[in-house]
Amino acid sequence: MTARPRLTLLLLTLFAVAALLGAPLAGSHDISLSDVLRGEPTAAAIFWQLRLPRVLLALLAGAGLAVSGLGFQTLFRNELAEPYTLGVASGAALGAVLALRLEESAALIGLPVVALASFAGSLGATALVVGLALRRRDSATSTLLLAGIAVSLSCSAIILFLQYLSDSTQTFRMVRWMMGGLSVVGYGEVLWVLPWVLGGAVLMLVLRWDLNLLLLGEELAASRGVDLGRLRLKVLLATSLMIGALVAVAGPIGFVGLMVPHILRRWVGHDHLYLAPACVLGGGAFLVLCDLAARTIMAPAELPVGVLTALLGGPFFLWLLIWRSRG
Amino acid sequence: MTAPLLTASGLAWDAGGRTILGPLDLEVRAGESLVLVGPNGAGKTTLLRLLTGLLQPRSGELAWQGQPYTDLSRRELARRIAYVPQIRPSRVPLTVEEVVLLGRYPHLSAFKWAPRPEDFAAVDEAIRRVGVEDLRRRRVDELSGGERQAVYIAAALAQEAELLVLDEPTIHLDARHQSDLAGLLLRLAGESGRTVVLATHDLNLASLLGDRLLALEAGRILASGRPAEILRPDVLERLFRARFEIVRDGERPVTMLRLDPAAQASEKVGTT
Repeated sequence: MTARPRLTLLLLTLFAVAALLGAPLAGSHDISLSDVLRGEPTAAAIFWQLRLPRVLLALLAGAGLAVSGLGFQTLFRNELAEPYTLGVASGAALGAVLALRLEESAALIGLPVVALASFAGSLGATALVVGLALRRRDSATSTLLLAGIAVSLSCSAIILFLQYLSDSTQTFRMVRWMMGGLSVVGYGEVLWVLPWVLGGAVLMLVLRWDLNLLLLGEELAASRGVDLGRLRLKVLLATSLMIGALVAVAGPIGFVGLMVPHILRRWVGHDHLYLAPACVLGGGAFLVLCDLAARTIMAPAELPVGVLTALLGGPFFLWLLIWRSRG
Repeated sequence: MTAPLLTASGLAWDAGGRTILGPLDLEVRAGESLVLVGPNGAGKTTLLRLLTGLLQPRSGELAWQGQPYTDLSRRELARRIAYVPQIRPSRVPLTVEEVVLLGRYPHLSAFKWAPRPEDFAAVDEAIRRVGVEDLRRRRVDELSGGERQAVYIAAALAQEAELLVLDEPTIHLDARHQSDLAGLLLRLAGESGRTVVLATHDLNLASLLGDRLLALEAGRILASGRPAEILRPDVLERLFRARFEIVRDGERPVTMLRLDPAAQASEKVGTT
């Protein structure tokens, strides 16, 4: 298949706009766009207050997850790398769960503490995994993924321990949050996530030549003038902060960062000039649709969107592993 | 004699406490073709990586026209020195054109939306000179070893650096591709103003190409001189611990490895 980057970007833009406008209309109670535009009070309230912020958050979260997946994959030249498989999301989750637990006892203010803790968690996990992989001086699939698994398992164990120590209401909150969801949001969360995701995406675009060069291998990239140390630092910092910010509001949502860049590479090609914006649009639209499905499949009950993406992503990951071992 | 383009003094590198290279002094003069020869593990690749600035020397200094490497950024160095490492077959999902365009990296600005016309002109020129016009839109990892090597050389040419450094360009190539590539390298080295430093196991390529040969053994310079001064049975025997015959004598001698299993079994040759 030949890549058609411009055409694909155009289609993805249309797709994202359609998802952004269409998704808020559907749900446990369908509303019509004309009612919203006419200012019919119930429809307008549902559209503007309940559903639009949620859809916007899904768009940003999907975009951020896909872009950070792309960043990890290019940096390590490894298609299986993404925030979830590298343990970065688990690190952020551990930080956030710790904060949730402390929040109850210390009665601290909400978002900032959880967010800071989740930043610390994601940065810590990234440093650990990357440190381990670079120490071995290879970013071979096995080293990287094993380090990611080790960090993930350790974080999960500590999270379970914290849940065990908590009372049942607290535990329920934590478990529910760990499933990843976009249910209780307003515009505050949207505005909070926006700069991190936007910053990360713009950085990828600015660094497009460096990232493209990395596709040829680290030695060639360095010989062409890429400062590898600084490039790694920039990309890892941007992706970790994105994941930290997203996990703080939406919990860990897995596999979007794995699936979206992989599929888009086939349509857009490998040039980060097109791939980065494609991940923003495609990842965003993808998570909006997943969230739409999550809140309509079992309506009026809601499926946590993280469960849905993991249901899709697990088999995809397996398929990738098998397909790679053949290629 | 022209002024040195590149000067190395007291250059040394070690790994895990074991000295890999040096200390050695070296000058590369503008316009010359310098060929490194020596057995496996002699430090040829290490020396090339030091000269390109990819490795930081453990001791000693490197300077480009008198300016220390430490004063130059990676990008500035890349505008002066282009490197073609040993190319291992790997999945590179880019086309020939894209790979060659990436050679322009040290001249590109991250904040310009698209490469400038002169970047595309340099790419066209590099592709033409290497003779891979027909392959422009093919994916690099679908090419043969020889074609791929040529593409990476084109990318290095697009970099428009004064010094071209190549590590074992003919390795893993069959006879026909070796001969094609030798022709290409001869053409490039013959261009006025181009300086080439190259490491190779192919002594005949070294003979044809080198204005000067540098015999490297166990990280030290064993001998340095014109091809006729280095490609002699006594020097080669000390260098490789194997016997060579001069098939054709002259300024650019042709040598041949003498395979004499019976004699060598009794002497126990070459343990590196």
